[in-house]
Amino acid sequence: MPHNAAIVGGGLTEWGERDATWKDLAQEAGKATFDDVDGLEPEDVEGLFVGAVQPERFAFQSHVAPMVAELLGIDVNGMLARTELACASGQAALRYAWLAIAAGQLDVALVLGVEKMNIDREHMPEIQSNMTNVLDREFDGVNGLNGPSYFAQYAQRHMDEHGTTQEQLAMVSAKNKSLAAETDFAHYREHVDVDDVLDSYPIAPPLRLLDCSGITDGAAGVLVVSEEKAAELGVETTAYITGSGQSCMASNSVNNIPSMTTWPQAREASQQAYEQAGIEDPLEEIDVAEVHDCFSISEIIEYEQLGFAEEGEGGQFIEDGRSELDGDVAVNPRGGLLGCGHPLGATGVCQALEVYRQFAGDVSSARQVPDDPETGLIHNLSGSASVHSVMTLARDPQ
Amino acid sequence: MTRPDHTGSKDADDPTDDLLRTDGGEHSDPPRGTITLPDEVELPRLLDFYDLQDPEHTRIHEFYDNLRAGSLTTTQCTDCDAIHFPPRVVCPECLSDDLTYTDLPHEGTLTSFTEVRGTAAIGMSDDPPFVVGVVDLGPVRLSARVDDATYDELERGDAVQLKVMDIDGPTEQDRVFYRFEPV
Repeated sequence: MPHNAAIVGGGLTEWGERDATWKDLAQEAGKATFDDVDGLEPEDVEGLFVGAVQPERFAFQSHVAPMVAELLGIDVNGMLARTELACASGQAALRYAWLAIAAGQLDVALVLGVEKMNIDREHMPEIQSNMTNVLDREFDGVNGLNGPSYFAQYAQRHMDEHGTTQEQLAMVSAKNKSLAAETDFAHYREHVDVDDVLDSYPIAPPLRLLDCSGITDGAAGVLVVSEEKAAELGVETTAYITGSGQSCMASNSVNNIPSMTTWPQAREASQQAYEQAGIEDPLEEIDVAEVHDCFSISEIIEYEQLGFAEEGEGGQFIEDGRSELDGDVAVNPRGGLLGCGHPLGATGVCQALEVYRQFAGDVSSARQVPDDPETGLIHNLSGSASVHSVMTLARDPQ
Repeated sequence: MTRPDHTGSKDADDPTDDLLRTDGGEHSDPPRGTITLPDEVELPRLLDFYDLQDPEHTRIHEFYDNLRAGSLTTTQCTDCDAIHFPPRVVCPECLSDDLTYTDLPHEGTLTSFTEVRGTAAIGMSDDPPFVVGVVDLGPVRLSARVDDATYDELERGDAVQLKVMDIDGPTEQDRVFYRFEPV
């Protein structure tokens, strides 16, 4: 790209069922982000990109990017927008910040992802309505498909067609939830073993309750700057965005999804990013991968499509321990969506922040990827998994 | 252009400081009123999962008209012959808007399924547990609820057949939707 762009720090809120509003969360994450980066203040920010999926439904509020600008006292005179791409909204915001900096339009951007999802439990059907309308509401959501019941279809077929087992699904959850127990902001911080997952309620069989991520309130921010600005700031650690790809294959509803067993869109998006980053063997060259484990089956399919495992062998990949912290590629060291929860618009931003912190060695030793990781990726799927977004990161500029 | 300066500065000579007193004084007992909100509202129009199906509200009303008459149909492009689902007003293959409705099979194969056992959305929150799956009809595949069966009674590959559901309330329209049931 004409101009390199790097994450130079960030911060987040506590994630969970928060006694706080959407606006409270945005302020907390904004403060934490600026507190983390010496030399950058709100008045330095030229671009603001806010990842948010459903503030209209969960907080009855639209036009949220200027609201964040106001809350954090940012005179945006370059670019501002809220990005909505369902569960990939945070990565979409990062992608636009990267593009604006690469194009020479900005030197400093704040990317903030926010989602307030929990309202009082008596309103759970309303929460579920909000989750259901990210599918084609008229023809898919209407049938009661939501996260668990939609991804259960993939789990059933992957198990039938590739021999993936319930135990292998449970291994993904046990790995990620146990890592989240070492993550100070995570929604779920209890160690979980395979039997705990297998004993949990089959809420949308074959998926069990502990195969699912949660309904979580949270926000996360990162500051993205040009290489020149990073040098001027003299920051110790940088996470340069080296590649970014997306693929949707003209699909959204069940009839048009290219496969109900796997996600060729993830392969396409990752190949785009790898090519930009000059990565030929992702398993060899990527040290830390933050992938979209909205459900345990998702991570297994992602091993295959991101180029870590052969097609159909994702189950064996987790069983062989190859995605553990000390495995061939450390997958989801912060505990993923399964452990941290999934405040939709915040997830992609938090994944990028985790990669940055792994580069910086700024996480608890229990979840630090060994041997000074220098390369990473973030992956998000969104909606009916019709869209996949992949971004590669490296400690040093290309 | 800069933002207005809201940084508070206390100045003994500033007469506006009086306006910021927090000890009550003459502002301590303002008049009070009441805002009354309804305890319940009817299902808001935009939280109804089923579309309004008449020609005044949707250009694919023929899909619903046909279903109401007992026939599952979808659009086919007269220029490139592509069959779409969901039905369209523009062919995504060639951008033609010359589309006709074609019959779909009423029997298909259940290629995957699960059972919704957690809380479901507004309008279906009394329904769990219920089965939802993917049905392959040949020309198209679609998601659908499968009635009259539990998760444990079904297997992938089972034959299922169309069932037409009349939607009762909350509009005056005679609305319909499709489900499937085991053959």
